[in-house]
Amino acid sequence: MAKAVDIEAEIPLTCVQLDGMVVTKIIKHAREAPSTTAHGLLLGLDLDGILEVSNSFPLPQHVNDDDDKSAKSSARHQASMLRSLKEVQADDSVVGFYQATTLGAFFSQSLIDTQAIHQDKLRHGGIVIVHDISQTARGNASFRAYKLTAAFLDAYKKSNFSTSSLINHRLTFSSILEEVPLKIRTNPLLSGFLGTLAEASRAPLSSATLGKGTSELGPSFSVLDLGTGGITRNLEQIVEAVDNYRTEEGNLSYMSRQIARERAKAENYVAKRKEENQTRVAQGLAPLPEEDVSRLFKIPAEPSRLESLLLLGKIDALGRSLGGTASTGLVKMYAANAGSTV
Amino acid sequence: MPLGPPSSALNIQGPSTGDALQNAPRAPTHITIHPVALFSILDHYLRRTDSQPRVIGTLLGTRHENEVEVRSSFAVLHSETDEQVAVDMDYHRTMYELHHKVHPKEVIVGWYSTGSNLNTYSALIQNFYSQETVNHPAIHVSVNTGVEEGQEAGVKAYISSPVGTVPKPENCVFIPVPVELRFHDAERSGLDLLLSTGNSPTSTSSQPVADLEIIERSILAVSDMLDRVLAYVRDVLSGQRKGDPAVGRYLMDTLGASTDDLEKGGFNAALQDTLMISYLANLVRAQAEVSSRLALTAAA
Repeated sequence: MAKAVDIEAEIPLTCVQLDGMVVTKIIKHAREAPSTTAHGLLLGLDLDGILEVSNSFPLPQHVNDDDDKSAKSSARHQASMLRSLKEVQADDSVVGFYQATTLGAFFSQSLIDTQAIHQDKLRHGGIVIVHDISQTARGNASFRAYKLTAAFLDAYKKSNFSTSSLINHRLTFSSILEEVPLKIRTNPLLSGFLGTLAEASRAPLSSATLGKGTSELGPSFSVLDLGTGGITRNLEQIVEAVDNYRTEEGNLSYMSRQIARERAKAENYVAKRKEENQTRVAQGLAPLPEEDVSRLFKIPAEPSRLESLLLLGKIDALGRSLGGTASTGLVKMYAANAGSTV
Repeated sequence: MPLGPPSSALNIQGPSTGDALQNAPRAPTHITIHPVALFSILDHYLRRTDSQPRVIGTLLGTRHENEVEVRSSFAVLHSETDEQVAVDMDYHRTMYELHHKVHPKEVIVGWYSTGSNLNTYSALIQNFYSQETVNHPAIHVSVNTGVEEGQEAGVKAYISSPVGTVPKPENCVFIPVPVELRFHDAERSGLDLLLSTGNSPTSTSSQPVADLEIIERSILAVSDMLDRVLAYVRDVLSGQRKGDPAVGRYLMDTLGASTDDLEKGGFNAALQDTLMISYLANLVRAQAEVSSRLALTAAA
């Protein structure tokens, strides 16, 4: 029991436990939100290495007017929501946030920024739960929990994403976030209630000769749908992401060429000055002073590679989801074929 | 599909009577509830204090012609003693405004309480909520959590109408309205997930679940159904059971589905497409991996 009292948050998180109600709340919000970037806050407690997420509430959509203004109103929204929830004995400590995504492509600047802020403010640094709408629609509700890796956070704090920093921190897109194991839990009341719902209720007037009666939750076979409508969109998104990546790479290489040019100019200047001085010394004159080169030539700072890193991560995620769809599609096709030949 | 124990009540919808009532909104004849609302109610019930025999809260949703769709709910503070009942109205307003910002389409449609007894206080609270749902009748949903012995878990919905020669707020008749669970198809898998979680002995399940596992489950369910149908058909053929023409018709429609497309080379074409996509996906991922590694090499 002594372990449970953990004031300084010293026990590292080993697992995130998501309550059944939060599961439905996130799914509903993600599906209804006008854009694909539905997000909200997660509330809960951590106990002995397990982070229990027991409630959540959605945050209003930013209507991209004033960034400052919307941030303020969002903060006010959070504060009053937390106060209200506390009054009805709900958990009121923020433990992270959730983010909806389609086709697994959730890498974005805003996600990283929010999580980086949380990592400083919250106990255990907070977590982000990513929910994939498109996968849920295909019949496999998917939730994943992530936090930023120490290496990425270090680079982020120095806001230095130059090539050398990336090398030092060994950063690729797969080492930006680390996954935390996630579990779904339903409390006994919910389990019991769900059981009642799913149980065949004896409808008094129906003449069901075959079945065991009707259940509130009839069987669903959306998993077995052979349709491949989503693939086209997935492919389009990949192409778009690759295009964006190419543009970004172009910008980067343009900037690095510019840096190289400026640097060459500066070096040229220094070499020339040295040569001149040598001849002057040979002629017996006083050498010209070595001027500060950096003042004469402005060498631009090395560009940040964060954006291209995130884009690569997005491409990878899209590719993975496409591959997943294709492989399950293959299984389903063979299953259908087997059914039709018998 | 009724939510909760079956009832033998007939729900009769009176014909709309002439022009006089044209402007007055019609009373809802049908109520649907989204699982989120239901689960929030259960959670609220779980977090009540010991002194509260029941909890109440506000239902939010949308109205269609004569159907009310309850889409979410939030808890409201209230206290009940032998002498009086009090509902925290400020709290209710604040919560509604907060909620309204995120889901502008959802309006107050009524209130919920747990337990299934309706009393004078229910009538008073109903009266309060009728003022909140201006112009529309408020609905009342009572959720029986099935915790108390001898009671079956279930959901009932009511609308109210005044009773007595002089209408008083504490007098009203609660008229039951049929209620059912409704959710979008895309949310179905979430419920399935919770259902399988609830059925597991530890009430927990780990994520993510592999796609194949879910497909396997579905296929097993289908093959189970086929077995049941087959047993039934055999029984009918051997004369042990009397065949039901309606069932026969359904079977014919379902099993007679054409698979011509698959047989006429469609399978191979689709197979090649799928393989191509799979190849492409792997190619893209490999390229992404390579280029992220290349970014890590310093220009020599």
